[in-house]
Amino acid sequence: MKNRRRIAKYSALSLIKQSVTGRRWSRAWRHHDLQASYDVVIIGGGVHGLATAYYLARNHGITNVAVIEKSYIGSGGSGRNTAIVRSNYLTPEGSAFYDRSLELYERLADDLNFNVMFEKRGHMTLAHNDSSLRTMQWRAEVNKLAGIDSDVIGTHDIKRLAPAIDVSDRPRYPILGALWHPPGGIVRHDAVVWGYARAADSLGVHIHQQTEVTAIDVAGGRVTGVVTTGGRISTPVVVNCTAGWSTLVSNLAGVRLPITTRPLQAAVTEAVQPILNPVVVSGSLHVYLSQTARGEFVFGASVDPFSAYSTRGSLEFAEGLAGHVLELMPSLSHVRMVRQWSGLCDMTPDFGPIIGMTPVAGFYVDVGWGTYGFKGAPVAGEQTAQLLATGVVPELIAPFSLDRFERGDLTAEKGAAAVGH
Amino acid sequence: MAHRMPVQPGEVIDRSDIRRFLWNGKPVSGFAGDTVASALAASGVSIFSRSFKYHRPRGILTADHHDPNLFVQVGDEPNVGAGHRLVEDGMVVDAQGVWPSLRFDLRSANRLVGRFLTPGFYYKTFMRPRPLRPLYQRVLRRFGVGGTVSDHATPVHPEKRYAHPDVLVAGGGPAGMAAAIAAAGTGARVLLVEESHQLGGHLRYTGDETLGLLAELREEVAATDGIEVLTDAVVTGRYDHNWVAVVNRNGAREQLIKARVKCLVVAAGKIERPYVFAGNDLPGVMLSGAALRLMNLWAVAPGSRAVVVAANDSGDAVVEHLERGGVEVVETVDLRTPGRRLVRARGRQRVAEVEIADGQTVEADLLVTAVGWTTATSLLNMAGDLPVYHPPAARFLPGSLPDDVLATGGIVGDGSPDQIITHGRAVGIEAGRRALRRASDWAQSTPRAVSPSPLAAGEPAEIPHLEPAAHPEIFAGPTDGFVDFSEDIRGKDLALAASEGYDSIELSKRYTTATMGPIQGKLEAVNAVAMHAEATGATIAETGTTTWRPPYAPVTLGALAGSDDDPIRRSPMHDWHVERGATPLIAGQWIRPDHYGDPSAEVRNTRSNVGLIDVSPLGKIDLRGADVPKLLEFVLINRWSKLAVGRVRYGAMCAEDGVVLDDGVTARLAEDRYYMTTTSSGAGRVWNWLDEWLQTSFPGWDVLMTAVTDGYAAINVAGPASRRLLERLVEGVDLSRHAFGYMHARSGMVAGVADCILLRTGFTGELSFELHVPAGHGLHVWTSLLDTGADLGVAPFGVEAQRIMRLEKGHLIVGQDTDGLTKAHAAALGWAVKADKPDFAGRPELVWEGASGPDRMLVSVQPADPQLVPPEASQIVDGAAIVGRITSSRMSPTLERGVCLALVDAALAQPGTSLAIRLPDGTNAAAHVMEHHAHFDPEGERARG
Repeated sequence: MKNRRRIAKYSALSLIKQSVTGRRWSRAWRHHDLQASYDVVIIGGGVHGLATAYYLARNHGITNVAVIEKSYIGSGGSGRNTAIVRSNYLTPEGSAFYDRSLELYERLADDLNFNVMFEKRGHMTLAHNDSSLRTMQWRAEVNKLAGIDSDVIGTHDIKRLAPAIDVSDRPRYPILGALWHPPGGIVRHDAVVWGYARAADSLGVHIHQQTEVTAIDVAGGRVTGVVTTGGRISTPVVVNCTAGWSTLVSNLAGVRLPITTRPLQAAVTEAVQPILNPVVVSGSLHVYLSQTARGEFVFGASVDPFSAYSTRGSLEFAEGLAGHVLELMPSLSHVRMVRQWSGLCDMTPDFGPIIGMTPVAGFYVDVGWGTYGFKGAPVAGEQTAQLLATGVVPELIAPFSLDRFERGDLTAEKGAAAVGH
Repeated sequence: MAHRMPVQPGEVIDRSDIRRFLWNGKPVSGFAGDTVASALAASGVSIFSRSFKYHRPRGILTADHHDPNLFVQVGDEPNVGAGHRLVEDGMVVDAQGVWPSLRFDLRSANRLVGRFLTPGFYYKTFMRPRPLRPLYQRVLRRFGVGGTVSDHATPVHPEKRYAHPDVLVAGGGPAGMAAAIAAAGTGARVLLVEESHQLGGHLRYTGDETLGLLAELREEVAATDGIEVLTDAVVTGRYDHNWVAVVNRNGAREQLIKARVKCLVVAAGKIERPYVFAGNDLPGVMLSGAALRLMNLWAVAPGSRAVVVAANDSGDAVVEHLERGGVEVVETVDLRTPGRRLVRARGRQRVAEVEIADGQTVEADLLVTAVGWTTATSLLNMAGDLPVYHPPAARFLPGSLPDDVLATGGIVGDGSPDQIITHGRAVGIEAGRRALRRASDWAQSTPRAVSPSPLAAGEPAEIPHLEPAAHPEIFAGPTDGFVDFSEDIRGKDLALAASEGYDSIELSKRYTTATMGPIQGKLEAVNAVAMHAEATGATIAETGTTTWRPPYAPVTLGALAGSDDDPIRRSPMHDWHVERGATPLIAGQWIRPDHYGDPSAEVRNTRSNVGLIDVSPLGKIDLRGADVPKLLEFVLINRWSKLAVGRVRYGAMCAEDGVVLDDGVTARLAEDRYYMTTTSSGAGRVWNWLDEWLQTSFPGWDVLMTAVTDGYAAINVAGPASRRLLERLVEGVDLSRHAFGYMHARSGMVAGVADCILLRTGFTGELSFELHVPAGHGLHVWTSLLDTGADLGVAPFGVEAQRIMRLEKGHLIVGQDTDGLTKAHAAALGWAVKADKPDFAGRPELVWEGASGPDRMLVSVQPADPQLVPPEASQIVDGAAIVGRITSSRMSPTLERGVCLALVDAALAQPGTSLAIRLPDGTNAAAHVMEHHAHFDPEGERARG
């Protein structure tokens, strides 16, 4: 435990003390020189990689761990998503998995001593036609059997929970009902990254930013090390926790993944006074929106209909998005969009992630998250850490193994062929 | 209007036209041409808003569209820039997010605890006690200073406009005007876009001596053919391939203009940078540009006793203009002189005294700073350029630009007005040349023969060098102040963030939220970078900037949305359905009759007499060419090569993963003519699917594909009496059973309408004829059928009756009875999969599925209780485990019992298997799997009849 350190605890009291005494806070995470070897090397300093490192250290005492990040931590999908969490998934395996994630999110601020600002605003998926209403019903039934708070509600309840939503028959596609999921909400996404990084660092994990993995050494079917822009590291265990470039990183180890990468665009408006509490999603209109604590509206859409590594936004996206938002909330027509961006989503054939072992011993993946990466990060980190520590595939992630594509045993999340947020 | 100065030579107000409006409920007046801010400043208002975090009073800083302190509520509009919006009679203007009032805002109590509100303080607290977290969150949300969205705001959806200029000039200052004039001179069509209300840029307010030059330039712009000028408009984004978004602000009715630009000229100029020192956000502290604009454009005295802090000639100019305007300049602090420095400004609601070096204090109500510039490189960044920091000029300059983007004016360098205009003209000529060359390239690549423009072949124009003026690198004084006014971020906050580990500029931005406010860093980015660089010991060049993303300026959602509505599609018989009181069903883009009162009665009538349904929304594709059979063999899972002329076949289409995509029938009408129908909702998807294969994999195939969904009205005539009915109206086709059998196709005349297609197909399981008639005659054929068949009991039926009848027959609906993972075998379409075909879309997966057996199976199910209709999506359970779900369920009027389709685990698919269906009340209902998919007439005798 040579790397462990005591850091100033965050609290209102320490905040006051620190301000009064003028002492500086200790660094949330430290710089380290790259060691020649680590027990575990995690590629990708996003929320998945950092969570995996944190749970390895906290739950299993494995602290000789390096997280290698080619840019700054949280620079990829972790800082580009729309920060929505929920567990009302369509399949039993999906809902059990994300329910655990939600549970971890709820206590994350305490676990990490970092306020990730999880706001349990409730999550509402609107139905504009009878077929999406049927899918909502399907999800609700599956969720109820799994003990997850989820039900179909009518327009009267929609109006009560989100008065700014237009439930009249004016819109081109009037709202018929919604799937209502009270435990869902929003989290400050960057805070999750920083909280995990700070906690992992305090437990002895090394975080190496601005360091890129350029090769993965494999000998006799086993991982032996990685080559980075900062030097070579020998290690028996490498975990690919990247998104956007997950296929390219896996290729370094000779492991091919059934993943295509697509951009997903998002946008944010200026702040206005609070008028929307829940997260609102419309699959038919390909849009989801929430109002942040600062008062901005954050909007996202479905993935772009083509593969690309570009993270530039398009005008067509902004136009379509605005049109769809105004269908739901016509009163926002004077509100201004201030920024649009995009992130990369790694799509698998069944829209489920790939977590676990690969044909190369010691090379693990936690990839293919599509549009669900942020929602699943805590549980993916926790379970991946358990797999690394015990060598046994935990039940929660067993359905998401890489070999399911060879067995034809796909997960059914794609069944809800709609925007999944 | 106590602060209004005498008439100024360049003023833009019309003193004969008085405008009256309300500010926080009190009447104020200004002149036409005044902005809200200038009119209020003329009336003595100095506080316009409260800041985001500490609710500090804020006043005019830049007096233009970039001012972070001037966001106000105008009627239903939140966050309106008062430095830009012109006053109108009757306007209702209010300060935002203050309580109880702007002058006395209780939430400014935040200032008392301000020292604790360090960056990211919220990440460190509000965690305990845990049950109070929702309360903390609710309270924090109330501190926002954004405007208010009114529930009854009238939605604004102005129409969008498309523009096709050869050259678009972003920025109507001297360089932009010169570029526009010169580009137009080459024969290019030019769109000149200026964010202010007048052309002229800084020439409007920096000196009387250049007003004459400005007038000449404006006259030349007006007199030059081929220039369209848009003022009060802004280029908000440059997207791939020079797709440029322009927002014509037009007051509150913003309009989006989308322009495909052959050459973009960015002449966005310089933005003045604030100076960081204690008290730099007090009302009465403003930038030199603000003071010059207030005095010269609107004749407003910005104060009475001024201190000017100058590091450049804009500072020198402001001293001269203040003095001429009768404002006493009590002290000039020239930062270019060694030893001269500004320490801090003090005051409560407005600056009252200014401390300069050596403890010297000066009483003043105005402090003007002129300490440097930021270049508006945002559009260049969007074009892929990375700006380069140029220390001698203390600002970022363009790096390397793509061929279709040029830059001129202050964004490139400095000089006398003549030098700038000369540069602008040269850039304009080059822009015209590049645009015309591009136009010529495009024309050459189209089939029409166009001779290349002589100019396009010319040599590149020589563009003179415009040297950026030397400027001291001054960002902050000896005390700390605000870097980001919108977000209340101080220099020490950035230093603190860096020391806590947020030591890249992107992490710092995210942690402190600096540059994330409505101005999006235009004013504060370089200061933030400088402060961050100082804290981390890096240089500004090493630190770099954060990425500029569109839009350059905020755009209303109303402008982005415009009036683009999803079209409503109606069949030619739509009005008839409405007149008959049909209940409408929104089915994708179509509005369809769900039923005409009693769907069960419609079922019974169709089963016993004859019914008509309007199936015009079915997707219809006309396929011609020698290779159509190859295409059909490839995209459909079953066999097509031997389909004879005059025959129809059912086909199912799967994606490459074997999942069922769509289904429908395809007829062979002639040797090389096929007619494909798709599901109504799948029409677009199937068209794209076929087109993608033809374009990407089989470009050489002889297939001509035409979408004719709207070209034909389609009517399915179903029921035992359907043949007798049609015999009365069809000419030239023998309808008898032996001549026109089940799954045959004919062309002929119906009710006097030629070129109709007749298919012996249907979804109901009855003897049925599907008539596809030229759309213009749809209503005629429909009413003729009803009029002619009255004695046969003919009546229309709607979508609901059809759904019931298809369920009675066990026919699946793709997307309802299948989901995103249901492959052909699981969908009970295994019989159609012809694995011996060499290749077809989805073949490997389907061969695999066939060999290993599907994991699930679509089956027909009947509840034990005949009166029970379990809701669709009910789960089928085995103890706690989910083993299937009801995909369709209805009460069958024919069988007078509940009938269902269900997707169940393959192990449960055997006929007779007992199932438990979980009902909404939590109880289980018994049901069993049927032997046949069809609950009714399993042998299909009726359809063949």
